[in-house]
Order: sequence, then C-alpha cells, then structure tokens
Amino acid sequence: MLAWLASAGSASAQAVNPLQSDPRAAGAGGSIFRAQCATCHGADAKGIEAIDAPDLTLIWIRSETTDESVFQIIRNGIAGSVMPPHGFPDAQVWMLVSYLRSVGAVGTVNRIVGDVSRGSELFNDNCSRCHRVDGTGGSLGPDLSSITSRRALDVLFSSIRNPSASIARRYKPVSFRTAENERVQGTIKSEDVFSLQVMDSNQTLRGFIKTELSELTRDGQSLMPAFPENLLSESEINDIMSYLQSNSDR
Amino acid sequence: MKQPSNKALVAIGTLVSSLFLIWSSIANGQVSDGPSYEDLLNGFSDPTRWLTYSGDYSGTRHSPLTQITPDNVDQLRPVWTFQTGTTTRGRGFETTPLVDNGVLYVTGSNNYAWAIDARTGRAFWQYRRDLPNDLTYGASAPVNRGFGMLGNQLFMVTLDAHLMSFDRRTGDVLWERELADYQVGYSATMAPLVLDNKVIVGISGGEYQTRGFIDAFDPVSGERIWRFNTIPGPGEPGSETWPDDPAILAAGGGGAWMNGSYDPDLNLIYWGVGNPNPDYYAENRPGDNLYSNSIVALDANSGELRWHYQFTPHDINDWDANHVPVLANIEWQGEPRRVVMVGNRNGFFYLLDRVTGQLLLGKPFTATTWAREIGADGRPIVLNDGSQGCLPDPWGSTNFYPPSFNPDLDLFILTARETCATYVPEEPANTRGRSNNGGTVFIDAEQGYGALRALDIHTGDLEWEFTYPSPTFGGVMTTASGLVFAGDHEGNFMAFNAETGENLWHYQTGSRIWGAAAMTFMQDGLQYVLIPSGSTLTAFALP
Repeated sequence: MLAWLASAGSASAQAVNPLQSDPRAAGAGGSIFRAQCATCHGADAKGIEAIDAPDLTLIWIRSETTDESVFQIIRNGIAGSVMPPHGFPDAQVWMLVSYLRSVGAVGTVNRIVGDVSRGSELFNDNCSRCHRVDGTGGSLGPDLSSITSRRALDVLFSSIRNPSASIARRYKPVSFRTAENERVQGTIKSEDVFSLQVMDSNQTLRGFIKTELSELTRDGQSLMPAFPENLLSESEINDIMSYLQSNSDR
Repeated sequence: MKQPSNKALVAIGTLVSSLFLIWSSIANGQVSDGPSYEDLLNGFSDPTRWLTYSGDYSGTRHSPLTQITPDNVDQLRPVWTFQTGTTTRGRGFETTPLVDNGVLYVTGSNNYAWAIDARTGRAFWQYRRDLPNDLTYGASAPVNRGFGMLGNQLFMVTLDAHLMSFDRRTGDVLWERELADYQVGYSATMAPLVLDNKVIVGISGGEYQTRGFIDAFDPVSGERIWRFNTIPGPGEPGSETWPDDPAILAAGGGGAWMNGSYDPDLNLIYWGVGNPNPDYYAENRPGDNLYSNSIVALDANSGELRWHYQFTPHDINDWDANHVPVLANIEWQGEPRRVVMVGNRNGFFYLLDRVTGQLLLGKPFTATTWAREIGADGRPIVLNDGSQGCLPDPWGSTNFYPPSFNPDLDLFILTARETCATYVPEEPANTRGRSNNGGTVFIDAEQGYGALRALDIHTGDLEWEFTYPSPTFGGVMTTASGLVFAGDHEGNFMAFNAETGENLWHYQTGSRIWGAAAMTFMQDGLQYVLIPSGSTLTAFALP
C-alpha cells in the first residue's frame, strides 16, 4: 500500500533506481552534478555553509533517505528555498542519485576486530567526558554513536593520535579572559563581529561580548588531548572502535 | 419650469466636471493621487517618502535626513517587526520597501507583496502570486527586490517572468504582461524603474539558453514601448564580438536583473548587464561577447544605445555587471563632471563620464589577482586568468546589493568580498530550461571574509574599512548626518561613522542581511530606518 501511494504521488518516479546496477551511472551523474549542482553544493558535494547548501555526502546516514526520496527532491526542489525543481529526464535524475550514492560518506564496512567490553571501559575512562555515545557522555566533542558508519577507520585513528590536524567546524578552540578576570577555554559554536557563542571546557554554553574580553586567542590546538601510543595502544584503539561499531549496529 | 439659479448651475457644473474627471480617470486608468512623475523626479525632497528602489533616480542611496546622527545613533531601538511568513532559504529578503503617506509597499520572496502601516507594522493587504510548479529559476532563487510606483499603481516583476500592475490601495491586479517564456529559463526579480509614462524592467536568466533584454512598458495600457537586447542580433553592432552563429547569439545570456539609474537631463538610463552564457565554459564564444558584463546608456524614449563600457571582456567567472549605477555631479580634476560610478563584481571601482562613457578611473578595491590596473585602451590588464592561483569566487568582489555615495565626503561605500576560488570549465549540454554553468568552482571557504569599505572617488584609494567574519551580501545606505547603515552575513544591522568607519551601533536581526540595503523616512516627527532580514522587516527609530 505504501509503495502504491508513493508511486501514485509521482507518475514518473520509480521506487527503485533502475540504474543502480549500471556502473556508468555514477560517473555520468557526476558530470551532471558538477555542471548543475556544484555551484551550491560544492564540487565535492560537501555543501557550502554560507548559503545553507547541505553536505550531500551525509544524506544517506539518515535512515529515512531512500533513492526515491532523493529523486523527488531533485525533481521537485524544496519549496521556499534556493533549491529549484529540475526538469531533467528521469534517467538523468537517477544518474544523479547514483552519483550521490557513490560519494555518500562511507564508514568502516568491515567488522573491526577488538574486545567490545574492554573498548567500552577504555571509552568511559578516556573519551566519555567529552563524547556522547547512545545518549550518555559529554558534549564538548562530537557525538560518536554512529561515527564508524560515517568515517573510515584510518581517519578515526589519526583523529585520536593527532586531533589538532583537522578540527571540524563548531569545534574550533578559543581561549580568552573575561571582564571578571576568568580564564575561559572552549569551542566556538557561533560568532559575529560583536559577540562569541562558546561551549566552555565545563560544557556550558556561554555568550560573550567581544569588547569585554581580553587575551583572545585561537591557537589551533584542539581541546581534545592527543593520545600517543603510550596512552592508547593500537589494540586499545581497536577495542574502542569495535565498541563504537557494536553500538552503531544497534 | 423654474430655472436653476446661477449658483446652482455652477454647483451642477462643478459636480459634472468632477464626475467627468473621476470618470475620465477611471476610463483612462489614470490616477487620482499618489506620487506623480514630478514627485519621482524630486526624489528625496519630501522626507516622508521613499518612492523608488534607491530613493531617487541617482542610485546614491544617500538620504538627506539628519535626525539620527553619529552622536545619538546608539539610542536607536526597534519600533516594530513585520513577519512575512515566507522566505528564501539560502538567500535573503532582498527588497527595498517604498513608502508614501504612511504606507509601506513591500515585495517579498516567492512573489508575495504587502501594504503595511508604517506606524505599526500591521498589513493592510497581502498578495501572493500563484506560481507554476515548474519554475526554472532563471533568477537563481525565489527573491524579489521591490515595487515601482506611480500614482496609485504599483509595478512588480515575477519569478515566471511577468510584469504586473497593482492598485496600491487594494493589492488588486490591474494588468500583467509576459516578459518572456519562463520555461526557457527567463525570470525577473528586480524593482521596476518608473519614469514619465514608462515602466522599465530587466530580465534574469543568464545561466540559461536566454538572450537578455531591457523593456519599457506603458504604465496605463501595459503595452510594450521598446526593447533593448543586451546581446546583439546577427549583423548588428556588437555581433562582431561573438562567433558568426545566430544560435550562439540567441542564447548569449546577458541578464539585466538589477535596477538601472536615470539622468532626466540627459534622458539616459544606465543599466548593468550580466554574464555571457555559459558562465565558465567559453570555447564556443571567443571574443568580448558584448554587451555582457557592461554598463549600457540607453535613450529613455527609444531604448537606443548611446554608449557602453565593458568591465570584464570575455567573462569566464560569472562576474556580472548587475549593479546599481551611481550617478553624481562632481568636481573631477578641477572641472565639473557628470559621472556614473560602479563597484564591480570583478573587484574594480570605476568612474566614468556619464555623457560620453569615457573611463576616468578604474582601480581595484580588493586583493584580487585577476588584474591590478586598466590599460590605456580601457581594458583590464589580466594577470591571472585562473592559472596563477585562486580568483574571486563567482559571487564576486562585491555583488548586486546597493553601495552608497556620500557627496559631502566624496566617499563611495560598498560591501567587499575577499574570496578564493578555482574554476574548472566543462562543456555544458545546453538544454532548454536548464542552467548552464559550464563547469565547476572550487571555493576555499577558509580564506573568505567580508568588509565594508569606503573609497575616495578621486583616487579609488581605501579611506577606511570595517571587516566582517565572512563574505557578506549586505547593502549600504548613507545619510546626510554622516552615518552609514550596513548589514553583515551574521545578521547584524549596523551603523558607522561615515568619516572614520567607526562602528557606532548594532542590532542582531537573527538572519543574515542578504541583498538588502536600508531605507529611511520621516513619520510623525521621527526618522525611521528599515531593514529586511530573513523573513522579517524591522523598523528602528530613536526613543
């Protein structure tokens, strides 16, 4: 019944991508994407924040995203937004869907070999003060509940060994002294010419007027400490990863 | 039969003649009140009015009002906020409201429009156009930049490329005319320029298989009076700057999607023209591609071209010249000159003689590496076509949002964007109704920022600047009291000292100020300043 309703709602779209087994579709879709979509969504499909154009490599992480729902958004646009409807032939829309599938964020496909329960303990000892998994833990760093399905294992390893090498937007570090002479360290959640919105190292959201601050520095060092081999061995990191993977499986 | 007295006869005669006047004004579709062409010519002379997109025909957006000053602007506070209930996610609320006799006339996203009580922010009426569900978005986004007004008529262009006339008292549609076929990719977003018995509009859609134009319509009958094609036809002057191929000319782009300015003494309108189609891929269009990326001066009666100046010959970066041309009468090197000024998307500030089109000054106002000077032949000396490192992005070193000119300080004040982009051209498919960027742009977001910059018009030198955290799309208004009003991408609406650039006041509107500039007027003895932002219009005044 649901499938019938979906197909009745759009005379032209099929529920399944008819090109999903065609290896050429993603390449052809990429050409269309670069000519038609990249101005807003970026040449790498990762979006442009300044114009609210979303990162399209992350759309597949949402469980409600299907080939057909992506087809419909390309076809109909998003009303009241800069995202227009597109009159491409169906086949070309499906090529775009294939392309977006091909660039979708791919996490760790293989089963990570590690001790899940030891990983859970290590996570609680080293990570959970700042990172949340399945609703428990801190908020200073990103929620890691489904991180293994979004990031490759080597990327996660390097984030632990050298967290300052690449710091995501909304986690950029800052430190300053307030008018009350309090030393504050935190991550920048938002900022304009006059004000700064910060999560401080106590994980409290705080707003500041810039003219009331002194010694404001953005030194580029992540608030996350680096974990070299002597603090977390490779096998211990694997244990943590297997714990995170077991969690994202649920 | 008793004869009516002379007095009665006079009264009847008066009645008949007034009835005749009413009847004839209805029959002719003429207006009984509201601003006349004379009022439009007088621009800012009535402090309770703002009657055109820029406030007057010159495009300076410099109000003579002086109640709000650098000394008291820190007391400015919101009086009311109007919620439109419609928005363009990813873009902005780009309109400039008009005001006459205490009523604001405002257009919004998705071809909504309102008449609003200037005292309270309460709407008298709302209009929403039923748009087709297969819009091609030649306008890039469902925005609109404002009404034109004459008498009791309002004029608005639409996303499906129509020009409409409304009764300003009711919002009722008086007539509408198709400008071009939206299914090809044509659209319209600009605020019509209203002259004496002419409504002048320009078309959007330069990324599609379109040929740009500027049209003049009769405000009463709605009949088209003339059309200027921004891309010449085969054999016409300018066609020698294109390949000898009618199909390429017929889809040459050159949108005319921003307002022009008007010099009533010369009877010339000045209008910016956009990019050639396709944007980045230029293998099939060798040559300068006139009149893309140019300013054109047209005879207002006939639409005939008097002169043109091309800022960016053979554009491959989408650096449209769709800017409000700013007209001023200045002293230039000891002589009086009638000039037109443009802060261009290619990163240069230009000052031209507006009688002849002679270039008097061209100087970069950003760190662009594309070119650093204009040669003796009036053409940019291109140093970096993109092969020597990154260039300003396709949104350019500034964009369509209005700049302002303060004649007391001889400062041209604009919002600049410093960006870094790499262009990779790719041959497009050229399909009807589909945009044609002709390649991909890689933008290094980490390197971008914005700045409010004040340029000395005699040298192009930077007098002062105020930097913003990110590349900004907010327009500028100045006042005779020495204030600059501007907005940034983080949502702050701000006031600055025009002499120094010092920030004096700010108000966080809650959404980026995108494409809009402030307007101001007197109401009940108070100077109001209005700014659109996101889905709101907010009015400010002193306590």
